[in-house]
Amino acid sequence: MTRKIIHCDCDCFYAAIEMRDDPALVGRPVAVGGRAETRGVVATCNYEARAFGVRSAMPTGRALRMCPDLVVLPPDFERYRAASRQILAIYRDYTDKVEPLSLDEAYLDVTGVDRCRGSATLMAEEIRARIFAEVGITASAGIAPNKFLAKVASDWRKPNGQFVIRPEEVDAFVVDLPVKKLFGVGQVTAARLERLGILTCGDLREWALADLIARFGKFGRSLHRLCRGIDERSVSPDRPRKSLSVETTYVTDLPDLAACVAAVTPLLDDFQRRFDRLDPAPAVHKAFVKIRFNDFTRTTAECVATTPAAVDWPALLATAHARQARPVRLLGVGVRFVEEADEAHGAQPGLFDEDAAARD
Amino acid sequence: MQLLTTTRDALLGPLQSVSGIVEKRHTLPILSNVLIEKHGDRLTLLATDIEIQIRTTAIVTGGPDDLNITVAARKLQDILRALPGDTDIALSLDESRMTVKAGRSRFQLQTLPAADYPRLTVAEDEGVRFTVSQRAFKKQLALVQYAMAQQDIRYYLNGLLTMVDGATLRMVATDGHRLAYIESEIDGNYPRTDVILPRKTVLELARQLADSDEPLEIIIAGNQIVFRFGDVELISKLVDGKFPDYERVIPQNHPKELRLARQPLHAALSRVAILTNEKFRGVRIVLSSGSLKILSTNAEQEEAQEELEIDYEGDGLDIGFNVTYLLDVLNNVSTDDVLVRLNDGNSSALITLPGNDAFKYVVMPMRI
Repeated sequence: MTRKIIHCDCDCFYAAIEMRDDPALVGRPVAVGGRAETRGVVATCNYEARAFGVRSAMPTGRALRMCPDLVVLPPDFERYRAASRQILAIYRDYTDKVEPLSLDEAYLDVTGVDRCRGSATLMAEEIRARIFAEVGITASAGIAPNKFLAKVASDWRKPNGQFVIRPEEVDAFVVDLPVKKLFGVGQVTAARLERLGILTCGDLREWALADLIARFGKFGRSLHRLCRGIDERSVSPDRPRKSLSVETTYVTDLPDLAACVAAVTPLLDDFQRRFDRLDPAPAVHKAFVKIRFNDFTRTTAECVATTPAAVDWPALLATAHARQARPVRLLGVGVRFVEEADEAHGAQPGLFDEDAAARD
Repeated sequence: MQLLTTTRDALLGPLQSVSGIVEKRHTLPILSNVLIEKHGDRLTLLATDIEIQIRTTAIVTGGPDDLNITVAARKLQDILRALPGDTDIALSLDESRMTVKAGRSRFQLQTLPAADYPRLTVAEDEGVRFTVSQRAFKKQLALVQYAMAQQDIRYYLNGLLTMVDGATLRMVATDGHRLAYIESEIDGNYPRTDVILPRKTVLELARQLADSDEPLEIIIAGNQIVFRFGDVELISKLVDGKFPDYERVIPQNHPKELRLARQPLHAALSRVAILTNEKFRGVRIVLSSGSLKILSTNAEQEEAQEELEIDYEGDGLDIGFNVTYLLDVLNNVSTDDVLVRLNDGNSSALITLPGNDAFKYVVMPMRI
């Protein structure tokens, strides 16, 4: 059965909330993120800032060099979360099958939903209008028969627009799509594909599955499907969390292990607070520390653990630190959860899974 | 100020029927307390966890003074429990402390003002209202409640779908892997009303209802439900959520039908369960004409096999199940036989009771 998936995404969410709450910012280049002095990076910036070349994940220092008038605001997650709750509630008005990807972005499976005469296009319009009326920011949407295409489509008319890929248009749409738009194709893979003369999905389709697997391993199988517009992943509201971690970049490098051990305590407090908020907390499988040294090399050390409080964090830190013994720029601590749900899911299908309706 | 005198049993009974829902650790200290109210010879005890409130009344003798106070529920209960059954108890209040006297024992407990105690109120005039026997309702709960999810992120599964429709009462519980369904007739004719009872409310009702023909009055009003039985009134908030479409997953036309004796099947499954993988608890069931084999292996490559002679002629089938889901239903029904309907190795199994269409249990197979 053909599915109807909406990918809904607010336009420069954090920056939009800031502009909503302080109209004086409207029309000026705005970024939300860490300050340059604390080696922060840009989390989100508005379209005025993007015109200067500012992008997400860019160091704030560099962003300010590109755009000296950039207004850099510290993030205020309380306000973003409040808006997020409103937005998710709007999404859930249309279907229970909402898979949030972040505070503002989600996939909605509206197959069989009879609101708006069953038109996913009208639902997306209504959702965007409600986000504007109730939350005061704009959103964009993509409507397509699967998650991959819905996500590509939501980017197509951004900001404040929407784009529909009808089932019969999928083939024509995908053939010209640059491979860079595919899930899992970043700069490195894109460059590898380009060396093979592959720029678009059409180019990719020339390649046999076996050749793609030979070159790209199991990712080759994904490529083979995606370039044909095939993506059967279901919208899963209860995708299990795989890990929880916190990390921080220090204003001045931590000179030695003792400084790291001292710095990890407040980090662990923060981690524990977040861990305690998980309800229900999944079973912990491993604990890990992550270190980025001042030469930007990165290492992690992990141990098997069931409760974060019982982990010998200093020992773990010592193991990781000994690998380089240089000043440390970033520390992170976290846990990985038992992926029981995944495994059990494989072995034990659910009654309400996509295709598990009583088969007679 | 002398408040009341009574026997230990006369006070402990009502106290235990309200104190079950009191949470051990709560952010609001007063929620560890039970509210004690006395008007003349009428004693009311009330406890709440904000989601559920239970109230019970009893007749006591004692001083002329009326009373309205809260005191730590667990502590009072532990004290009463530790005293002999027929001990005379006297409660008195002095400033902000309550004294419990029993013979030569004496306990002073801190109190908090009754005015601060949160209470649920119900606008029950507008609700759907019906009455069933306590025994019948308790029995139906027992047939389905074990299939409820526990701490599932799909919060609406951590409860029991309760549906009144015309003269039918339906209850459905599922954890997403198996589902239990029961329906019964009730007096009256009602518009379809679906609500989800929280898990805790269901367990509390199952614990408190009596095996008697005494009535249980149920009122569904807005986002709350009220249960009245004996001296007890239980008010519960309802789970706000959309229960999955259970009708879609109850198979209608599975072709293979077996009638199995419940006890021997239960015994065989329990034995085979010993050598299942501890995490997945999978057993393999191999059906052929005249025979049902149940097999298991665990991570250490140990193996178990049972064979039941059955009255079945037809195609064979090899299918896996989580043995816990099968044992759960066999433990909670009481008929001599059960009917099992199967299709293929990927389709759910439907378990029903002979001569009874009211109960249905659906369980998804495992890949073994």
